[in-house]
Amino acid sequence: MRRAATRLRWLPALLLAAGCATTGSVGPDTSAATRTVPEARGDIRTLPDGTREALRYAGWPKTDYGRFRTYAYDDTRGEIAVQRGTVPAGATGDPKKGRALFTSRAKGPCTGCHLIPGDDVWPAGNVGPDLSTIADRRLTNEYLYQQIYDARVIFPQTAMPPWGASGAFTPQEIVDLVAFLQTLKGPRPPEKDADRDPATRTKPVGFGDNLDPTNNPALLLAEGAEQQWKVRGPSGKACADCHAGGVDVAMKGVAARYPKIVPRYSRVMSIEDFLSAHGPETTGTPLPMESDANLNLTMLVKMASNGMPVAIDTESVEARAALARGRAGFYRRVGERNHACAGCHTPEKGASKFLGGRFLGDVTSGLTRHFPTWRTSQNQVWDMRKRMQWCMTPLGMNMLPADAVEYAELELYLTSFDIGKPMNVPGIRH
Amino acid sequence: MSEHGFSRRSVLGTLGVLGAAAATGALGRPRQATAQALGMQETLDAGLKRVFGGRPIKDAGGLVKLDVPLIAENGAVVPVTVEVNLPMTPSNYVKHIYIVADKNRIPIVTRVALAPEAGQAYMGANIRLGETTDVRAIVEQSDGTLLQAKREVKVTVGGCGG
Amino acid sequence: MSDIGKVRVRIPSSIKAGDVVRVRTLVIHPMERIERDAQGKIIDKKYNYITKVTVTYLGKTVVSFDTTQSVSENPFFSFAFKATDPGQLKVAFTDTTGGKYEGTADIKFS
Repeated sequence: MRRAATRLRWLPALLLAAGCATTGSVGPDTSAATRTVPEARGDIRTLPDGTREALRYAGWPKTDYGRFRTYAYDDTRGEIAVQRGTVPAGATGDPKKGRALFTSRAKGPCTGCHLIPGDDVWPAGNVGPDLSTIADRRLTNEYLYQQIYDARVIFPQTAMPPWGASGAFTPQEIVDLVAFLQTLKGPRPPEKDADRDPATRTKPVGFGDNLDPTNNPALLLAEGAEQQWKVRGPSGKACADCHAGGVDVAMKGVAARYPKIVPRYSRVMSIEDFLSAHGPETTGTPLPMESDANLNLTMLVKMASNGMPVAIDTESVEARAALARGRAGFYRRVGERNHACAGCHTPEKGASKFLGGRFLGDVTSGLTRHFPTWRTSQNQVWDMRKRMQWCMTPLGMNMLPADAVEYAELELYLTSFDIGKPMNVPGIRH
Repeated sequence: MSEHGFSRRSVLGTLGVLGAAAATGALGRPRQATAQALGMQETLDAGLKRVFGGRPIKDAGGLVKLDVPLIAENGAVVPVTVEVNLPMTPSNYVKHIYIVADKNRIPIVTRVALAPEAGQAYMGANIRLGETTDVRAIVEQSDGTLLQAKREVKVTVGGCGG
Repeated sequence: MSDIGKVRVRIPSSIKAGDVVRVRTLVIHPMERIERDAQGKIIDKKYNYITKVTVTYLGKTVVSFDTTQSVSENPFFSFAFKATDPGQLKVAFTDTTGGKYEGTADIKFS
């Protein structure tokens, strides 16, 4: 891995203080570069047969996307090169195969962004245009082929992935897709169900009161951290020894100022990042990122600021520089899909539209102040880093370690939109 | 609000036929299942027949209010609430509320048994749905009358958010 | 998971004698689902899930749920009872491993 350089500034002091020596057992030695649970490190390993696979959380895809650029600051590769495609000579397209490809979850699915007719089409999204009557536009096969192969040739600012240039679809598959699209002539069939069409679909109603312990299991898990606060670690000290008065009192207002640049470690840190370093240094208790202990303690610390307005520093010279880097990350095109966060989460692009069945959040409305959040689909508490790491997998990109400074500065940028809004942790979401 | 955590005690061997039958159902090998056993993997029709024995189930009209989301963001946690506008007196009360998810592998999701002291036939729970399906509340009164309310729940699957 | 069996019970802040009271409860529990192997065959093992929820008020059972693997992990349950006298409301959960968990609420009139 080439990211060690960004962390070495604070690393020696930290290792010295903690006296820890972990060993990396697989792939390049990233153990010194991060303080996370193993499955959150973003390790890639080479199997005996030479294939590379990613070590990620249980149930996550193991695919190695090393070919495509990541958020890493030292990843200086460009986005996938813009490429003009050529329709293979003599190829004929099969509309049936094309439709199967269009709706296949193993591929796009294209229905994630584009609506087409069919009772079986559920749930389609509207991040991209409705293609239900695309054939009426009488676009040439060559035009449609290029649009799918690499739409940037036609629309340089498009959010559409370069499906052919990246190799996600073969030329023959694109020919089949074009043949299918050319069958989509109007008039559109009458819509029997308003929810089928993302333009008229009922918006998600959420999962109720996030602070009701008979509704949000995360609250019961956070209570476990109250014990953690008082327990003496290997150094003989407990959090409570230095932070008197109970968590609620000692930590009141603290989390409202995070993420922030922590001078001791010379980098932007969230509460999770900070605990992963601070815990071993003070009590001697490891609190690796993405461990239950770290997540539960983070919830507890953040809850002490519930109701208080987010008040992060965006004015100092260092904060401005970090914010600029975070913003650049937000707009950076990455992965096999060549997506930027901005492509889905800004009002100009995908925000407040459906991506498949998912209603896309708008970064300008403030998306961070309920993290860590309970996720009902996972029955787990997820912090912002795990949520970012998850976004990576459908984008077709290798994830960075959970405590990567790139993620921290991205989080700083996202949090800038929550300024003045009340903290409300833990959330409860899909 | 008060609460009380309790450490586990060993089972007293009184799980009864329901518990045993449910454990059987969990292994997918039906063994001497009683008509009233829950937890069976079966088709909807087989389940309804087994539990209600072909007795007529009437549409409840407005008497049974079944509250489910139109669209569930995922199939793991789908809140269901049932409110029944029928008496709860010692001689005439709602004895059972069944929640049924037609397309689930275990379609009979839960059965609530009520005493008149419940005051109102009301229940709620989070259920799992395997896919888009009709969800039913089947209410049984003390005189054996069966009434049903039914709503479709569309289940959202997949998407970049997971 | 050491949190299994944690229970919370929520009752209204003010109850008058004779009210029909709605109660909500949540229990931390995996409610293990049936697992299948790569061929789709059910994996034969003992699954841990709650099979019974029993609500007692003043010592009498007023509501009970027979539950299955079609009920969510960390489930909530809600029900009603008629508050005739001050006393204890108890919600008891039993799972397939024999685990028993409880939550209580003191019913007082105000």
